[in-house]
Amino acid sequence: MNLGIDEDELASCVNCGLCLPHCPTFRVTGAEPLSPRGRISAMRGVQVDGEVVDGAFVEVIETCVQCLGCETACPSGVPFGALMGATRASLASKRRSGHQSRLTRAALGLLGAHGAVLAGARALALGQRLRVVPRRVPLPLLPLRQERLRSTGSDVWLFTGCVMDAVQRDIHQASIRVLDRMGLGVSLPGNEASCCGALSEHAGLTDQARRMASGVMKAMPGESPIVVNSAGCGAALKNYGQLLATGEAERFSARVHDICEFLAQRKTALPPPSSARRTTVAVQDPCHLRHVQKLHESVRAVLQPYARLIELDDEGLCCGAGGSFSILHADLAVAVRELKLRAIERSGAALVVSANPGCSLFLQAAGVDVVHPVQLIDWAISGGPDGR
Amino acid sequence: MSATSENSDTPLVDDLRAVLGRDRVTVSGTERRLYRTDAAHQRGDTPAVVCFPSTTEEVRSVVLVCRKHGRPFVPRGSGTGLAGGAVPVGSPVVIVTTRMNRVVDVDLEERVAWVQPGVLNLDLTNLVRPLGFHFAPDPSSQQACTIGGNVATNSGGPHCLRYGVTSAHVVGLEVVLPDGEVVELGGPEAEPACFDLRGAFIGSEGTMGITTQVAVRLTPNPPAVMTLLLAFDDLDAAAGCVSGIIASGIIPAALEMMDGEMVSAVEDFVGAGYPRDATAVLLVEVEGLPGGVADEAERVSGVGYSFGARSVRIAEDEAERNLLWKGRKTAFGAVARIMPDYYLHDTVVPRSRLVDVLRKVREIARRHRLLVFNVFHAGDGNLHPLLVFDAREAGVAERVHAAGGEIVEVSLAAGGVLSGEHGIGLEKREYMAQMFTQDDLDAQAAVRMAFDPAGLANPGKVLPAGSRCGELGDLPAGAWI
Repeated sequence: MNLGIDEDELASCVNCGLCLPHCPTFRVTGAEPLSPRGRISAMRGVQVDGEVVDGAFVEVIETCVQCLGCETACPSGVPFGALMGATRASLASKRRSGHQSRLTRAALGLLGAHGAVLAGARALALGQRLRVVPRRVPLPLLPLRQERLRSTGSDVWLFTGCVMDAVQRDIHQASIRVLDRMGLGVSLPGNEASCCGALSEHAGLTDQARRMASGVMKAMPGESPIVVNSAGCGAALKNYGQLLATGEAERFSARVHDICEFLAQRKTALPPPSSARRTTVAVQDPCHLRHVQKLHESVRAVLQPYARLIELDDEGLCCGAGGSFSILHADLAVAVRELKLRAIERSGAALVVSANPGCSLFLQAAGVDVVHPVQLIDWAISGGPDGR
Repeated sequence: MSATSENSDTPLVDDLRAVLGRDRVTVSGTERRLYRTDAAHQRGDTPAVVCFPSTTEEVRSVVLVCRKHGRPFVPRGSGTGLAGGAVPVGSPVVIVTTRMNRVVDVDLEERVAWVQPGVLNLDLTNLVRPLGFHFAPDPSSQQACTIGGNVATNSGGPHCLRYGVTSAHVVGLEVVLPDGEVVELGGPEAEPACFDLRGAFIGSEGTMGITTQVAVRLTPNPPAVMTLLLAFDDLDAAAGCVSGIIASGIIPAALEMMDGEMVSAVEDFVGAGYPRDATAVLLVEVEGLPGGVADEAERVSGVGYSFGARSVRIAEDEAERNLLWKGRKTAFGAVARIMPDYYLHDTVVPRSRLVDVLRKVREIARRHRLLVFNVFHAGDGNLHPLLVFDAREAGVAERVHAAGGEIVEVSLAAGGVLSGEHGIGLEKREYMAQMFTQDDLDAQAAVRMAFDPAGLANPGKVLPAGSRCGELGDLPAGAWI
């Protein structure tokens, strides 16, 4: 079966295996099929040698977290994300009519309907308090009520997203406050720009991802920069040019900045900390910041004046959250997270910063105290909240 | 049995499942096929089963199941070997040690750590580095390769110039012999009793049994380190400089060489500031007490200039040093930026013959219309010529194979040996007869038979076909890429 992978890209892996230790699923299983090299080899089997697509092949492909730690490690420059993306899109279109596939499509489609996301989050929050949500659902205790966000001007857009707006609006509030202190008014896209489409794209549902991308673009017109405080969404928005392949989408993507990237470029405009005390934090690098956007240094650059930073010793190994991965492959995700928890423990830090909602929710669910870098800046500038 | 479907060899699979459970016995054809290769270029046969024991006892039980069914077994770690040592021939059981990844004990007083074979080389070093120690063998695949694999191939690495290869850093082994017996070879005591079977086992590439625990020596971190990058406009001058440095009485911790083609490929990946326009570079590391190190660095750069180095750069800090080494250690993979396949030799020649042999290697590549990249452990004369090509091109495999054979010939003619550190495996066994007489080969086969009379432990590796009874025949059809 032709998986639609570029032949030269597929041939570019030399089997050296240097990716193996940087792959979270190989780290926890030690199994070649669950490694980048094994996955590429399986893709070659199907596309080049004509092997059949069976359940085992689908498993090999679907158990990839898509963290792209392998791309960073690869000396040969194999574009693993592109290989995996093409394979997933081929599998998704082949199984279009299947039950599981329809269910995934419907569930991810809901993320684009913001009213449903908000209602769902509220129902979950309530259910958690009534103890009717099973413990294995990988979520921390969600807030029952979320304060309304208010637009403060029109210098920059703040992309608010789906899940993040529903359960981590305090990060948006902190972002607006910090940008405001720098003299930048913030526009909000409203419910039009709900989901960025990343999860649909990762599942191979390219058409759905494109529809969501168009909605997001329509909701944030003009020339102002677009600031994103979710590493995963930021990576997706920056990729619209490629996803939609239009000049308009390319111009849109060029306006997108991760919030740490944006602040790092304007460091001199950042207010100084209100006290000399520095909070000690361990830095967790979201894969979409470190391996995809390659902006993890900007987190360190912006936090330097405000906190004492501790590096984890795991070279940016994924935490296992991986968007919907932690729900679809819960056992693997929890095993991967265990490695991250041990790295955090070795660091000795009581607080962790993470610039991505998926990672922070998944780590919080395991009892780790996690904040967004912009929250740390917000607190350091304003002097609250206590105990940080 | 079809390689495309689930394994239907029920009695064997049932017995293995009885030992390991369902999860750790892989039978799916799609998954088993992924174990046909390691990091070398031979594709072997599809193994019958792949299994993942996690204790010595489980390895022993798996080996006994293989014995009961008369099945050969192939031990495998991360699969980063460069000679096909873990490539299956026939329809063996592959025994993967990656789940045996515990550091069992670290004894800083004795400077010994007991580790399971699936512990990754760099993971061990990262673990003990804050305590002031490291594991000295540092092959380029250090971040990915297992210590069990290091034992099997007697791995080297850049720093083995000063510290010696794996056998110098393993004091004892626990192994499961092919008949299922668990024995300890060597040990932490200074002078173990009996024969030094530890020395016989290290480098046996899985043909004498499976390592299940290793007592490794921990080496103290040097108080000071300096890394120098010497750039040359002439390959012969760089190769001559290698001997010059050693002749001046300095044994650097590492003394590596890359030719200009390799430098460009590496620089594309790491951006460490390697001089793209140089014809060759030497990467030299000196270490010891701060005063001595500064003095040695000065002497190395003096020798460099006297051999015509056009520049000598000293890494400013650890970050710069790490970047330079990252470039060196990812060199094999980096060539894929130029061509998607490479064939790599590992011959060792006397240092004094480097200039001559390097020249001949380039001449061989030119004659076979192939690109050759050189990146190697110059200090101990361990060549790594990479012939790069695109396997999809018709007829290229034959040319690569022929050129490889000639490289071996010129290396042996110069008084060299077949392998410095990658092992013989499947890939180089056909050259064994050029290196050894029939008597030598018979003696080696006899030692192996003493450990594995039934011929079940990684058959078809190291010794050429026909060198012992019951030996499997030729390479599997189509093995060559």
